[in-house]
Amino acid sequence: MIIDQAQSSITKAKNKRNLKRQNTFQTLGYILVWICGITAVAVVFWIIGYVLSQGLQVINLEFLTTRPAGGVSGEGGMSTTIVTTLYLVVLTIVIATPLGVGAAVYLVEYAGDASRESKVVAFLVKAARIGVEILAGVPSIIFGLFGFALFVSYMKLGFSLLSASLSGAALILPTIIRTSEEALLTVPRSYREGSLSLGATKWHTIFNVVLPTAIPGIVTGIVLGIGRIIAETAIFWVTLGGSYFLPKSIMNSGRSMALHVYMLASETRAFDKAMGTASILIIIIILLNLAINIISRRLTARVSGKR
Amino acid sequence: MANQERTNNQIPLYVRLSTKTLSIILGILAAAVLVSAFLLLFSSAESIPILQSLQGQNKILFVIAFTLIAAVLGLISRGFWNYKNWAKTIIIAGLLIFIIYSFINVIFAIFTAIFAGESVVPMMSILRVVGQGLLFFLSYALLPGGLIYLLIKVDQYFKETQRQREFVDNAIRYVLLGTALSCIVIVFLIFLFTMEESLLAVEEIGIGDMLIGTIWRPGSIIGTEDAQYGLLPMILGSILATFGAIILGVPLSVGTAVLLAEVAPPIVRETIRPAIELLAGIPSVVYGLFGLVVLAPLIRNIDVPRNTGFGLLNASIVLAVMIIPTITNITEDAIRAVPREYKEGSLALGGTHWQTIIKVILPAARSGIVAAVILGVGRALGETMAMIMVIGNSIAMPESLSNNPLTIFLNTARTLTGNIAVEINYAAGAHRSALFFTGVLLFIMIMLVNSTARFFMKSKQVKQ
Repeated sequence: MIIDQAQSSITKAKNKRNLKRQNTFQTLGYILVWICGITAVAVVFWIIGYVLSQGLQVINLEFLTTRPAGGVSGEGGMSTTIVTTLYLVVLTIVIATPLGVGAAVYLVEYAGDASRESKVVAFLVKAARIGVEILAGVPSIIFGLFGFALFVSYMKLGFSLLSASLSGAALILPTIIRTSEEALLTVPRSYREGSLSLGATKWHTIFNVVLPTAIPGIVTGIVLGIGRIIAETAIFWVTLGGSYFLPKSIMNSGRSMALHVYMLASETRAFDKAMGTASILIIIIILLNLAINIISRRLTARVSGKR
Repeated sequence: MANQERTNNQIPLYVRLSTKTLSIILGILAAAVLVSAFLLLFSSAESIPILQSLQGQNKILFVIAFTLIAAVLGLISRGFWNYKNWAKTIIIAGLLIFIIYSFINVIFAIFTAIFAGESVVPMMSILRVVGQGLLFFLSYALLPGGLIYLLIKVDQYFKETQRQREFVDNAIRYVLLGTALSCIVIVFLIFLFTMEESLLAVEEIGIGDMLIGTIWRPGSIIGTEDAQYGLLPMILGSILATFGAIILGVPLSVGTAVLLAEVAPPIVRETIRPAIELLAGIPSVVYGLFGLVVLAPLIRNIDVPRNTGFGLLNASIVLAVMIIPTITNITEDAIRAVPREYKEGSLALGGTHWQTIIKVILPAARSGIVAAVILGVGRALGETMAMIMVIGNSIAMPESLSNNPLTIFLNTARTLTGNIAVEINYAAGAHRSALFFTGVLLFIMIMLVNSTARFFMKSKQVKQ
């Protein structure tokens, strides 16, 4: 009896000690995890804060509207690089969007329709899906090599806006396909059935009912693609050439903003100008992220509202 | 026939007038193209000044093309006369293309005027140029735009038969299938072109020599000695930099993911997550610039001989920051995918929250976390521009700077990606081919890494 009591009190004490120890562990663990999170955020703010604080000092109207002077001094502004980036983005999106949205429409709306699908088509669809997965993992320098071999050398387009944007389109194609696919999948089935039952053909249904409903999601994909093109350097380093003059047509060489940052940092000592360009890049990326957040918030609000 | 008469009578006069006029204009255009084709056929190229630029080209080819264009225009004209829907669609598409083309021209002209110069353009002349450009564009776009508006307005009078509808539907189906295949075609082309370009190196140098060789000395740079293309230093550089990034980045990312998924209150979560997402969008050159300007002087303070501040440590830190978003996002998803019952069961048995996280949730999310880390490896292996800027790009085998083996991370190195990017713009012959072989090697490595990650992702899905 006494021994039992003694034992139970010992176990109780043990349990209490154990609990205390576990609670200490828990506190330590929480602290560790918080440190991780705070470090990650601190790194973000450090990088962005440093680049912005250094870069915003250089930025003025003259910096924005004069072209780089070239040479090793890194004098001059960044006007031509802004315009070249704009050209690149527009061209790439114009090339990639029809392909990407078309592919997503086929994969969501047509593929898997077993009654009308022959074996060959089923095989092709499978290949297409695998292609999207592989392409999404290919590093950008490989796209650059590919563009360099195919567009620059083999098709003799030279270092030009055209070959750069064709290679860039290959980079953002999987992004656009995936986001568009997700957007199309959220369109309720009843919309399609309603349209089809009114006698519209499949294409009319897709073009007039499904695509307009999925537009916010598709736009998200396009904005993501724009962000990747603005941030991309490796592809354009090997396909765009890097001339600091303004391209007069799509067959001319040019220099995007990210490429300008690289060339200033590696070939000149003008780190302040590089910081200025980099801070413009960061501001654009922050704005694009905000745009995506707003679009997706509206989208979820709409979807939940409809339920 | 009677049916046709009736529907024709229902069409208002202004619609009939405008469509017939447009159709006649198109017909005249077709005739003009045909006549010019004949002129081209029966006259020497020298007599027409515009055509002198065609000299040396095949004249017959142009004649055939002109005739074809004339035929197509004639067909469209006839279809339009008969109120065919397809003719209307083609005309609208053509007008749209014309408008877009003139718009692009105007934009190019405006930007060239404003931004091409070396000096600042005053505000007034910017406004003037923009205004002029827009006026120019309007004068081009007004007529086609009006026509498009009119055609859309009178849409109801154009008809198509059931067969045409089905034909269009089917045609679009196959066009879409074509776009769906674009990705696999690109993958195939990437394979084809990188392999084909690297054939020369495989033949002349040999795969073994490139994989095991420790000296990279492209002949086109030095010239006097025999060229050697050993990729081992770059392979080692890539692997070491990635390894360092994983050592630094994975604990941080997994910790952050646990914080986001389990510990942090919603308000903190909603502020941390956008910040991490922002990290994924920042251009890699900005990281490179940061490593160059901020990290390199910091690392230079470490007191080791021949320490330049550039090298594997700098590269690893930069890479670690770059893979944080990838690993954090996927790990957080994996943790959230752990069934609620696991967590509740552990808590009900008296485990503390932390014990639950360590002993139940993380093991259950293991395959997802492994997949996240592997995807991070893939991203780190493929990173290029930031690496060139901070790693030092030396072509020697990376070795430790002093007796301490850890000082290897202070030494400079070069990655596979950097090897390609640094030299591709001026390489030729076997050198260029060896660089393409580097690309093939990198491609294969990353394909392996990614398919391993996909394997782990799939096994996670099956288990649930």
